[in-house]
Amino acid sequence: MGLASWLILLPFLTTLGVLFTPASRPTLIRWVSLVGTGAHLLLTAFTTWKFWEVASPDIALAKTSTLTKLYFVERIPWFKSLGVDYLVGIDGITMSMVILTSIIIFTGVLASWNVVNRTKEFFALLLLLVTGVFGVFLSFDMFLFFMFYEVAVLPMYLLIGVWGTGPKEYSAMKLTLMLMFGSAFILVGMLALYHYAGGTTFDLTQLAQFHYPVEMQRWVFPLIFIGFGVLGALYPFHTWSPDGHASAPTAVSMLHAGVLMKLGGYGALRIGVYLLPEGAQYWGLFFMALTTINILYGAFGAIKQTDLKFFTAYSSVSHCGFVLFGVASLNLMGFKGAVLQMFSHGVMTGLFFALIGMVYGRTHTRIIPDMGGLAKVMPWLAVCFYIAGMASLGLPGFAGFVAESHVFMGGFFGNAWSDPLATRVLTVIATLSIVVTAVYVLRGLAKVFQGPITDPHFLELTDATLTERLSTGILVVTLAVVGLVPGLLIDLIESALLPFVNRLHATGALAVAGHP
Amino acid sequence: MLMLPELIVVATGFILLVLDLFLTEKQRDLLVPLALAGVAAAAGALVLTPDTGVLLGGRFAMDPLGWWFKLAFLVAAFLTIALTSGLLESAAPEVRKLHSPGEFLTILMFNLCGMLLLPSTRDLITLYVALELATIPLFLLAAWRRDALGGEAGLKYMVIGALASALMLYGFGVLYGLTGTMRLDAMPALLHADRTTLFAAALVVAGVGFKLTLVPFHMWAPEVYQGAPPPVTAWLSVASKAAGLSVLMLVLFRVFRPFLHDAGFAIALLATLTMTVGNLVAVVQRNILRFMAFSAISQAGYLLLGFLGGGSGGAAAMVFYLLVYVVTNLSVFALLILHNQQTGSTQITDYRGLSQLNPLLSLAMMLGLFGLAGIPPLSGFVGKFLLFSVTAQAGYHWLVGVAAVNSTVSLYYYLRIVRQMYIEAPAEGAVPLKPGALLTAALVVTTAASMLLGVVPTVYEAVRVSAAAWLQALGQ
Repeated sequence: MGLASWLILLPFLTTLGVLFTPASRPTLIRWVSLVGTGAHLLLTAFTTWKFWEVASPDIALAKTSTLTKLYFVERIPWFKSLGVDYLVGIDGITMSMVILTSIIIFTGVLASWNVVNRTKEFFALLLLLVTGVFGVFLSFDMFLFFMFYEVAVLPMYLLIGVWGTGPKEYSAMKLTLMLMFGSAFILVGMLALYHYAGGTTFDLTQLAQFHYPVEMQRWVFPLIFIGFGVLGALYPFHTWSPDGHASAPTAVSMLHAGVLMKLGGYGALRIGVYLLPEGAQYWGLFFMALTTINILYGAFGAIKQTDLKFFTAYSSVSHCGFVLFGVASLNLMGFKGAVLQMFSHGVMTGLFFALIGMVYGRTHTRIIPDMGGLAKVMPWLAVCFYIAGMASLGLPGFAGFVAESHVFMGGFFGNAWSDPLATRVLTVIATLSIVVTAVYVLRGLAKVFQGPITDPHFLELTDATLTERLSTGILVVTLAVVGLVPGLLIDLIESALLPFVNRLHATGALAVAGHP
Repeated sequence: MLMLPELIVVATGFILLVLDLFLTEKQRDLLVPLALAGVAAAAGALVLTPDTGVLLGGRFAMDPLGWWFKLAFLVAAFLTIALTSGLLESAAPEVRKLHSPGEFLTILMFNLCGMLLLPSTRDLITLYVALELATIPLFLLAAWRRDALGGEAGLKYMVIGALASALMLYGFGVLYGLTGTMRLDAMPALLHADRTTLFAAALVVAGVGFKLTLVPFHMWAPEVYQGAPPPVTAWLSVASKAAGLSVLMLVLFRVFRPFLHDAGFAIALLATLTMTVGNLVAVVQRNILRFMAFSAISQAGYLLLGFLGGGSGGAAAMVFYLLVYVVTNLSVFALLILHNQQTGSTQITDYRGLSQLNPLLSLAMMLGLFGLAGIPPLSGFVGKFLLFSVTAQAGYHWLVGVAAVNSTVSLYYYLRIVRQMYIEAPAEGAVPLKPGALLTAALVVTTAASMLLGVVPTVYEAVRVSAAAWLQALGQ
C-alpha cells in the first residue's frame, strides 16, 4: 500500500468508522469525521513533501516529454481480460487537487459541526463522496476513474434531498440527472477511446501512446469536453448549479462548488486534451467562445440575485468558466491558469459557502436586502467575507489574481490552431467580467455588512465560534499563501502540464507534415 | 450424470406432490425446507457436472454457457422459495397467504425443470417441449390468488403466451421446411440468406421476444406482474427472462449465426425500442409491481446489446449481466414482497419514510435499486459497462449514447423510490416491517452478491472463459 492508495483509503475508512459509531452519539461521530479528515490533511502534507522530493529533479525532463510522469504508482490487475487495472499515481495536477480537497473536507466537517438531523448518515455520505473525489483525482485507469466519478456524484442526491433547504427534491433530482446525463457522454467517449486503441487497456498512460485517427478525435473530443463540462458548469449545461447550490446544506455546497465542479475541468484536461490533442485543436476556439459566454453570463446573473447562495452559485458559474476557458486556450499559460483557478476557486468558494452557512445560521435569512450592518455584530465573519469577495474579484495578493491573470494571458497568447484575432477578442470580452464581478461583490457585501443594522434582533447575534474561526481561518490563510507565494503551487503543476503542451505541438507538427 | 440436476429437481417435485397428500396443514411448513434442500442438492449436482458432454443421441448436451444459465435458474429458484416462505407457512395471515403450498412448490419445481432443460436442448422438438414446460406452469402460478387481478393476469398471460408459442412453432416449421433437419447444429450449413430464412428468424425472435419482454412483445408484462402474487412476479422477472435469453442465444448463436453479423442494425433497433419504451413508461408508474415490470422490460433492452458483433465477449457480457440482474432484482423484490406481505400495499408512495423505520432494509433496497440503475461500485454498473463496451466494439457508438442516456432516465425513476424511503417522512402510525429469518438471509446473500460481483472479478473471468470455449466449440 503506497501513499496514493492511502489517500483514497483513509476517507473510506473514516466512512466506515462513522458507520460503526452508534447513531445515538452524534458528538463522537463528528469527532471521528474530524480526526479522519485531519489525519488526511497531515497525510496530504506528508505526501506533498515526499512528492516534492522525488519530482523536483525531473522538472527539466518534462520540458521535452510528451508523457506525464507519474509518481507513487501502484498497479494491481483487476478485470484482466478487459485490461482494467487498479492504477493510482500522483502527478503535479493531482497533487494540487488532493491538497485542495483535503483542505475543503476538513473545513467542511468543521462547518457542519451543528448538523443535528441524522448526523451519522450525513457524515457517512459526505465522506463517501469525498472518497470518490480522491479516487477520481488519483486514478489513472479510465475505468477506475469513471467508477469513482459516479461514486462522487451520486451521494449528492441524498445530501441535498435530505438535508437541503427550499425546493430540495427538485434541485437534488435536477442536479443528479444532469450530471448523470453528462456522464453518459463521457461513457460513449471513453468506450470509443478504449476500442479504437485495440480494446486491451484502460490505462491512461498507455492510451496516451496511441495515436487516434483525426476523424475520430474530432467527434470524441466534444463528447468528453461537454460530458465533463456539465459538471464544470459549462454554458448552457450549468442550470443545475444555482438550484443545487442554493438547496444544498453548507458543507455540501462547499464540497460541491469547491471540489466536485473541479472534476469537470480536470477530466476535460486529463482525458480530453491529453488523449485527443487534435480534437482539442479542432474544437478549441468553439469552446473558448462557449466559456466566454459562461464567464459573462455567470457574472451578469450574479448581479441580479438577492439570495446569497444563488449569488455565489452564479459567481461560481462565472469562475468555473475561467477554468474551462483556460483549458480551451491550449497553451501552457492557459493550462496553468486553469489548474490554479481550480485551486483558488475551490478555496474561495468553499470559504464563501461556509460563511453563508454561518451567517444564515444566525440571521435565518439569506436574502441580501433583508440584511444590513452585520459587520458590527459579527466582525470576524464580515472580514472573512470581504477577503473571499476580494479574492473573487481578483485582487492581487490572493489566489484568484494569480489564476485569473494566467488564464487571461493564456487566452490572449492564443494558439497555433485558432484564429489569433478571435482568441484575443474573446479574451478581452472575458476580461470585462472582472468589472462586473467587482460590481456584484462590492454591492452585495456593502449591503449585508455595512450601513445601519436593519433588524433589531440582529443586535443579539454573536460572532464566529471557535470551530467556525478555525475553518474559515484555514481557508483564508490558504488563499493568502497561494496569492503571495504562488510559485509553490506553480512549480508543482508546471512540470505536469508541460507534456500536455508538448503533445499538442507534436501532433501539430505531424499534422502539418502530413497535410501541407 | 449430465442430467442429474434436472432429475433431482423433478424428483423433488414429485416428492413434494406426494408428501403433500399425507401432511396436515401445520406439517406442511416442512415443504419449504424440503424444496430448498432439493434445489440446493440440484445446485450441488450441477457443480459436480462436467460442462461439456452429450446424452440421448445428441438431443441433450451440456455446454459451458449452459452451465451458467442453469446456475442462474437454480439460484433464482432457491432465493425465490426463500422469499416466498413467509407467505406459504401456515401461520401467515389469511388475507395474503398463498394457499396449497404443496402444489405451489411442485409447480414451481416442474417449471424450474423446464428452464434447466432449455440451454441443453439441441433439436427443435426438445427445445419446444422444454420451452412449454418453462412457460405453462407460470400461467397457473400467475393466477394463484383467485381474485380479479390474478384471474386477469393468468388469462392474459395464457392467451398471449399461446400466441407466442404459435409464432415460435410456425418459425420452427419454416426452419424444418428449409433445412429438413430437426438438429439445431446442422442448420447453419443448410440455411441461405434469403427472405424465407429472414421470415423464420423473425417469427422465432418474436416468439422469444414475448418471454424476454422485448418491445413490441411486452404488453402482457405490466398486468401479469401486477396481478400475480409478488413472489411469482419475482420469479417471473428473473427466471423467465433468463429462460428467454437462453433460448434467444441458442437460436441466434446456433442456428442463425452466419447472419448474426448482418442483423446488427435490427438488434440495435430492437434494443433501442425496448429500453426506451420500458424506461419512459416506468417513469409514470405508481404501482411498484407495474413499475418493476417496466424496469424489467428496459433491462431486457440492455441485455440485447450483447448480441451485437456476435462475439464471445458479447455472450460473456450477457450471461454476466444476467447473473447480476438475478441477484440484484431479487434483492429489490425481497423488500417488495415483505412490504406487500405486511402492509398489503403495492403503491410506491407507501414506501415513504421507510428509512426511518427500517434503516437496514431500506439501505439494502436502495443498493438494489442503484444496482439496477447501474451505479458503481455495484455489479450492475460493471454488467452494463460490459454490454456498452461490446456495443462500442461493434461500432454502434450512437447506441452506447442511447443506452447511457436511458440509464440516466432509469436513475430518475429508481430515485423516486429512494426519495420516498429517505426524504419523505413516515406516515402516521406506520410500524417497522419484521422480516423473517429466511427472507433476511436471502436479502443478505443477494445484496452481498450484487456488491461483490462488481468488485471481485473471479465470476466474470470464469464466465468469459466459458463463453470463449463455448463459441469455439460452436465454430467447429
